[in-house]
Amino acid sequence: MTAMTALPVATPAQTGGWLLAQLRTRRLELAVTTAAGLVAATASVVPVTALGLLVDLVRDGESPSALLPIAAVVVAAAIIGGIATGATSTLVSRLGERILAALREQTVATALRLPATVLDRAGRGDLLSRVGADVAAIGTAAAEVLPTVISAVLLAALSVTAMFGLDWRLGLAGVATLPLYLVALRWYLPRSAPIYARERTAIADRSQLLMESLQGVRTVHAYRLEQRHLTGIEHASGRARDLSIGVFTLFTRFVGRINRAELVGLATILVAGFWFVRSGWVTVGETAATAVLFHRLFNPIGMILFTFDEIQEAGAGLARLVGVGTLPVAPAGTVRLDKADLTLSNVCFAYDERVPVLQDINLRVAPGERVALVGSTGAGKTTVASIAAGILRPLCGTASAGGIPVDELAPGTVAVVSQETHVFAGPLIEDVRLARPHAPAELVRDALDTVGALDWALALPDGLETVLGEGGHPLTAAQGQQLALARLVLLDPAVAILDEATAEAGSAGARALEESALAATRGRTTLLVAHRLTQAASADRIVVLEHGAVLEEGTHDELVAAHGRYAELWEAWQSRT
Amino acid sequence: MNILWRAIARNRWRLLAGCLLIALHQACETFVPIVIGETVDLAVATGSVSRLVTWVGLLCLLFLLLTTAYRNGARQLMRALADESHALRLEVAAKVLDPRAEVRTGDVLTISTTDADHASYLLDYVPRIVGALVATAVSAVGLCLISVPLGLVVLLGTPLVLIALQRAAPRITRRIATRQEVAGRASSVATDLVTGLRPLRGIGAQEAADTRYREVSGESLRATLLAARTQGLFQAASNSISALLAGGIAILAGWFALTGRISAGELVTVIGLAAFLGEPFGTLSAAPGWIATARASADRIADLVGSSPAPAPAGSPPILPATGECLGVVAEADAAELVGRYDDGSPDVLVAPHHPELFSGTIRENIVLSADRELDAVLRASSADDVVDAHPDGLDHPIAERGSALSGGQRQRLALARALLAHPRLLVLHDPTTAVDAVTEHSIARGIRDLRHRPGSQLGTLIVTTSPALLAVTDRVVMLRDGEIVATGTHASLAALDPAYRAAVLR
Repeated sequence: MTAMTALPVATPAQTGGWLLAQLRTRRLELAVTTAAGLVAATASVVPVTALGLLVDLVRDGESPSALLPIAAVVVAAAIIGGIATGATSTLVSRLGERILAALREQTVATALRLPATVLDRAGRGDLLSRVGADVAAIGTAAAEVLPTVISAVLLAALSVTAMFGLDWRLGLAGVATLPLYLVALRWYLPRSAPIYARERTAIADRSQLLMESLQGVRTVHAYRLEQRHLTGIEHASGRARDLSIGVFTLFTRFVGRINRAELVGLATILVAGFWFVRSGWVTVGETAATAVLFHRLFNPIGMILFTFDEIQEAGAGLARLVGVGTLPVAPAGTVRLDKADLTLSNVCFAYDERVPVLQDINLRVAPGERVALVGSTGAGKTTVASIAAGILRPLCGTASAGGIPVDELAPGTVAVVSQETHVFAGPLIEDVRLARPHAPAELVRDALDTVGALDWALALPDGLETVLGEGGHPLTAAQGQQLALARLVLLDPAVAILDEATAEAGSAGARALEESALAATRGRTTLLVAHRLTQAASADRIVVLEHGAVLEEGTHDELVAAHGRYAELWEAWQSRT
Repeated sequence: MNILWRAIARNRWRLLAGCLLIALHQACETFVPIVIGETVDLAVATGSVSRLVTWVGLLCLLFLLLTTAYRNGARQLMRALADESHALRLEVAAKVLDPRAEVRTGDVLTISTTDADHASYLLDYVPRIVGALVATAVSAVGLCLISVPLGLVVLLGTPLVLIALQRAAPRITRRIATRQEVAGRASSVATDLVTGLRPLRGIGAQEAADTRYREVSGESLRATLLAARTQGLFQAASNSISALLAGGIAILAGWFALTGRISAGELVTVIGLAAFLGEPFGTLSAAPGWIATARASADRIADLVGSSPAPAPAGSPPILPATGECLGVVAEADAAELVGRYDDGSPDVLVAPHHPELFSGTIRENIVLSADRELDAVLRASSADDVVDAHPDGLDHPIAERGSALSGGQRQRLALARALLAHPRLLVLHDPTTAVDAVTEHSIARGIRDLRHRPGSQLGTLIVTTSPALLAVTDRVVMLRDGEIVATGTHASLAALDPAYRAAVLR
């Protein structure tokens, strides 16, 4: 077994660079968004300074008419500010969501085109959590956290500017506590980050256990493992709960430090204001306005600090998504072929240098010929099929169809149906159409008919429009495999490779599937990996593979008559006692 | 019983303590602008050092009180919230694992994760709402003490504003729900396509899959932008209105101050309080949306947990093996339905599912479920010894991703080893060798026979299959059509004499 190699995660520099590049292509949007944010923040700060002025007017004993311009400013600011705030939050999420949409589409596009070997080494779980959970987490952050945080940052910046505008000394008093906030953050983040990471792991474990129990529920019931699985889930969930309580306790201590910074800041402004007023540098109204401005920052600053974790987490998710984009994508071939032969010449292969899997394989499937590949488990049949399909690269020798190396062929020219079936979520007709988007319904029906799936498909609740897959109408393994064969028929590839395409159906279903497979490959250049020797017997020619080398080759009758390995397998298969 | 009410009821003491402390915290927060106003009025404006010291000292005490109240209250609430979501998750898990319930929805993960969280957030929302109401009330009282009309503006204006804003709430909730739903759909399309990557690649359908994802991603973007616009409009309205209310109070106070009805310092207090009121306003205007989210999640949990158990399996088993007998059953109709009838829930019967499902853990943890009596013999009998030997760690080899790194045949042999190792009095096997080659199938058939049916054995084995290799080692074979026995005999005699049997079995 080779160790799992995780998919790459982008460095902060890569992520930052990517983000900057995205923003650069959206300069106008960025400018408009920033402008709206600044208007909103200004409209929020202006009334406070105006009211500070009012305090001085009151102290100077002005007439009530002096109120009018201030009232006008306050009312105008309320209306303009409200609209600008709404606009900012809409614009920020629009900008964020557009960038995110581009990113998730790019990530999925890359994921779909990753070389099989990269994916096998990394495992599918990692990729799935990136295109699923990470995209969702960043989506929520972009929709809910980002607009608030950006508004808060702008408001904080403008408020500080306004304090300096009132009087530079008051401004200095206002920013004097900034270090205290930073100290609190530097105390909290390094302590909370590892607990959050452990909490995420515990949550992942919990979900994993739950999904396994759900997917294996029949086994759980059969072996009466309910209590055991429930206990496992309870432990994982309890661990996640304890960690979240632990990190929250830490968080409340962090809030205590933030409160301390607020107190120090407020007291500094009041004491400094007291001194400045006595010295005649500032007015009472200016001091009052500064204190109110600072007090109003409690909430926005809290917002920035308290969402720091979420922002960091979204940042980590972003790095994971951008990381997928850095992976090499196998360039798709472009050559298209009609009917062609399939040739493997002098092919050898090893997953690990020490253990050769295939040695000097020579194999030719003539155009329109059906060749079965037979051998006991571990003989290397699937490896041969993967090399013929261009999924694996041979260490030596070549695999070609119609004289062209298989990796130069357009995707789908050499098509593979393996025993790993997957029924795609969505209407049945769309599942089949994956092979050929926008194929007329007639062709899809014909394809289903060819493999013998039309009757049961039409009998489904909504016929061909019945929603299948996760959460949809359940199909048997044999039906799922028939759909895969229908896709093959609709695709109509130059060469077809069937890798144990009838294995998992159960004995009764396997018979019907064999007929489907036969119909799907009639007159097609086909390489057939078969456990079920009935299927091999119906092929034009049989190649027996043993320990990674071709042992025998010939028609069924020739091989049975030869009394070699195939005859032995055939005897065992038949078991006529 | 409603899940939300139950959450409140079963966490009532922590919730009560939390609400009281958070209310105290909010009351203290309300006093901060009042203390600021008084300090400006009585100390800064007068230049009295002693008063400055007194008021700043008071401010310190106030902060001490508010931070202590928050810390203790929030911890109580967090504990209640974490306990509640843990309990909800376990309820969902128990339902999923209940043998009588047929929970087959793909949403279980979301319900046990997100919905359990969202429903228990109620325990956070309640104290927040209480706190906001207290803050508004304290502000109103504070304003009344300065000037009754100002207090009345708050007391009358607040409900009016909140009611006006609430009219928009259902629309926002709907838009957000649509956004979440479409985003969820996009995410499941992505995971579905990546899960089916191999079959997709097999037919060169990457391009088609990509297009399909782009469509649903674009749809998700549109729903998100629509929701963002609605939220933006709401925000514009709510911000304008609360700013107008706060500004109105301040202007009114300014007029009172200019006409000498209140002092300049009181004006500062009013300005501070009016500005502070935005906070509880924000909470109170958002609260109905929160509650709606919590309720929607609670409803989804209730639907899952309350779903009625599936009907008991229909019919009793048509035939049972005699003591010590190895019985073959050839069923032409639904074999899965047939084997289901044998599972009567007793510990003596094991109906091993056809689909070999493995779990996280080592090979040993997967197959040794109780005693490991005769482990080596069982591994040999099921030809699983090859699978174990293929890994350097042997039985301690970890199985990842439900055994996806193993071949179908390897998984099938491990599952068979697990079934044989359980040593049930009656073992029902359903097509246990479909993914192994003919030679291995042969040796497995012999292995099952030798392990379970030595002379004098009391164990019964029933194998539902059409594999001649397996049927050949049975004592007796029964052929079923539409649940009725149509032929009985040994494999050899039936194969020789019954054409229908030959057609069904021999290949």
